[in-house]
Amino acid sequence: MLHAAAWFVWLTAALIAVSTTRNPLYLTLALAVFMTTVYVIRRPGETYAAPLAPGRFALYVIPLAAFINALLSRVGETILFAIPQTWPLIGGPITAEALVYGALNGLLLTALFTAFAALNLAVPIRDLIRFIPRAFYPVAIVASIAVTFAPATLRQMQQIREAQAIRGHRMRRLRDWLPLFMPLLTGGLERALQLAEAMASRGFASETAQIHTGRTQAVSIVGLLGILSGGLLTAWQQASWGVALIVGGSLTIATALWLTGRSVPHTTYRRTPWGYREWLVTGGALVAIAGFLSWGEATRAYNPYPILTWPAFDALAGTALLGFLLPALVVE
Amino acid sequence: MIRLEHVTYTYPDAARPALRDVSLSIPAGAFALVVGTSGAGKSTLLRCLNGLVPHFSGGTLTGRVAVDGLDPVALAPRGMSRAVGFVFQDPEAQFVMDRVEDEIAFALENAAIPPQEMHVRVAEALAQLHLTPLRQRKLETLSGGEKQRVAIASALALRPRVLALDEPTSQLDPQSAVELLDALVRLSKALGLTVVLAEHRLERILPFVDRIIYLPDDGAPVLTGPPRDVLPHVPLLPPLQALARTLGWSPLPLTLEEGRCFSTDLTNQADLLIPLKPVQSVEKKAPVLETHGLEVAYGSTTALRGVDVALYPREIVALLGRNGAGKTTLLKCLVGLLRPRRGEMLVEGRSIAKTDVADVCRQVGYLPQDPNALLFADTVLDELHITLHNHGIPVGDAPIAPEILLERLGLRDKIQQYPRDLSVGERQRVALGAIMVTQPRVLLLDEPTRGLDYRAKAQLLDLLRNWRAEGLAILLVTHDVELIAETADRVVVLDQGEIVAQGRPAEVLRASLTFTPQIAHLFPDRDWLTVEDALAGIRNATASTRA
Repeated sequence: MLHAAAWFVWLTAALIAVSTTRNPLYLTLALAVFMTTVYVIRRPGETYAAPLAPGRFALYVIPLAAFINALLSRVGETILFAIPQTWPLIGGPITAEALVYGALNGLLLTALFTAFAALNLAVPIRDLIRFIPRAFYPVAIVASIAVTFAPATLRQMQQIREAQAIRGHRMRRLRDWLPLFMPLLTGGLERALQLAEAMASRGFASETAQIHTGRTQAVSIVGLLGILSGGLLTAWQQASWGVALIVGGSLTIATALWLTGRSVPHTTYRRTPWGYREWLVTGGALVAIAGFLSWGEATRAYNPYPILTWPAFDALAGTALLGFLLPALVVE
Repeated sequence: MIRLEHVTYTYPDAARPALRDVSLSIPAGAFALVVGTSGAGKSTLLRCLNGLVPHFSGGTLTGRVAVDGLDPVALAPRGMSRAVGFVFQDPEAQFVMDRVEDEIAFALENAAIPPQEMHVRVAEALAQLHLTPLRQRKLETLSGGEKQRVAIASALALRPRVLALDEPTSQLDPQSAVELLDALVRLSKALGLTVVLAEHRLERILPFVDRIIYLPDDGAPVLTGPPRDVLPHVPLLPPLQALARTLGWSPLPLTLEEGRCFSTDLTNQADLLIPLKPVQSVEKKAPVLETHGLEVAYGSTTALRGVDVALYPREIVALLGRNGAGKTTLLKCLVGLLRPRRGEMLVEGRSIAKTDVADVCRQVGYLPQDPNALLFADTVLDELHITLHNHGIPVGDAPIAPEILLERLGLRDKIQQYPRDLSVGERQRVALGAIMVTQPRVLLLDEPTRGLDYRAKAQLLDLLRNWRAEGLAILLVTHDVELIAETADRVVVLDQGEIVAQGRPAEVLRASLTFTPQIAHLFPDRDWLTVEDALAGIRNATASTRA
């Protein structure tokens, strides 16, 4: 399993790369790379309930985006056909350019979605939660519980629905939700209480983190103010002062969190070691983004308006995108 | 190891104390069982051991509790977490993480154990409960027994000296329950752990126990001691001990092997050849419910295959089978919650393929495993009115007046109470009321004795027998062989979606190795299944030898 941080670097780089281009050639290439990644890291044994497979997402989103854009945008020279002007809202010419532009947006969304799907598949939620600073340990635990609580609640809902159906319950009005909702609520509360007992019995304490909360809050507010005023200064063309304030503010907040985190007596089980795979994946992602941004400078932008043209393609920039394939190559 | 001195505890707003002047001591390394009816204070006693009582429940506690030299009242559950591991009834309700390893590590993370040591301890806890192959699995993909083993491993990760378990097997099928208890016994021996557990099904656990704590519910003093000293004072016992106590077998047998010494003696000395149970011929007119060639599939897996069942008025049929054999699936089909892929279901000769679930359920009552899913009204009486309302029946025209039905259910003085405040057995009877108020011709029950103590079970038995006498057809899905021995007229065994055996309980239960009642174990060459059978049989035999 790859370290979650490596996946984060990969995802961030991938998102930046994809969102800086509308060139269909690059987008298709990136999508192919992400799809391959998803396909390779999908574990066949474990039943993973993906809410929506990337392929199906593409089937819905690309045509839909093309259709909507074609109806809304009247620009473009290649008129395919025209809807009578007398029809409200949608009347007017339908152009190939508008269709293509919409489809490109759909393609971009699909690429972003697929990159997220890869992360979702690769990193257990528990590992993501570990990125929450230690000062917020109770928050992290609550997030973790929510993850386990949700499917249990769904199962319970199903049980209750059946139990009410067999005593003649029918869904007709809004009021009819009550027999489903009440047992779910009381059952949920009962389970929450039991969980609290179970957690206390295993030494969990939510109060430890509150020791320094007051001070941390004060320091964090100071840091935030620094960042805010830094942002304002940058806008007022005082860039150097602004950046200094932003960096200072961020450091203040980070230090406050770190200090509070240290006072929470708590250790973490099983940090995935950072090995050569992690270096390869982050390295690959960084090279890919740097290469794509510099070599693809001239060819990244693509605009189908006013008339469709064949998009330009830079071989080096295209090759750079292949750097995002590394997770698929090094994963066990 | 554990010492309670004059402990009295009252829940907030309770009229009577839940524990009254309890004094007891449990030596280190003991395997202690807490017995008593629901509401006798078993959970409360266990919760005292790590301070959940009074820290989570509120209320007032007087007297002194000492566990491993520590005071749970002063230290609170968190402070006791290294001394006492705690396992709850429902394994799912105590999980914090989503993977086996992470779940076990949770307590260690809280205790700030250094990562290296943490790995050793997690590996150890996994190995102790045979969970190593499952360490990477998601908790939701585990079976009930596996989940409960994870819960125990998590409780043991901090290496406590005491392990307290509150009815840890009540949500498990018998097979998993036996496996879990075996694991516990092994652990307590290997680690010198002091185990204190509450459990309803005494027959499963008695062979392993070396100490019993009996909490009488009439306020009499708590009894503690070796099983043979305490058991004679416990009113409701498993069949083996009940028979032994009536026949005066001494010392009281705790295992079937010990019991068999007495029973073979008895069969040798008296000439007990008279088979007792006359075969009752059920009037087989028209079945009230029948299925023909039922086939159900979930996706590509077939859950039921060619199932033909018929249910006649005035009989109780027991449906037996292991977990995943398709028992609950069959019940859901019979009320229309699941639609079969093939085959048909008839209620009083009419197909229900196109009937709405709500309409089927006026004819066929179904009590699901968890009656809590049914209950949501403010009072017990309201629950019954709501069912009538659902079916569009005015209260005045109800086939049976709700008050009368509740009286028959033994709930007359609970009519105005909030259903969820009642005991497990009472809640189940409220749910039964909500189902039976339309007077269906058929009643289906899914695992009705799960979590019930002996008294609640006896009350349920009486109800079912009375309803049978009035002409109701009852289908029981259960793992509880003693229940089948006492009630069923017919047994159907389901295995991997197919009916593999059918017939009189005496024949079917004897032919099976896993589903044999204790009395049948004791008298293998007799036709007896229950304590009453055995007592009557022995009396007859003695009478005839005298004559």
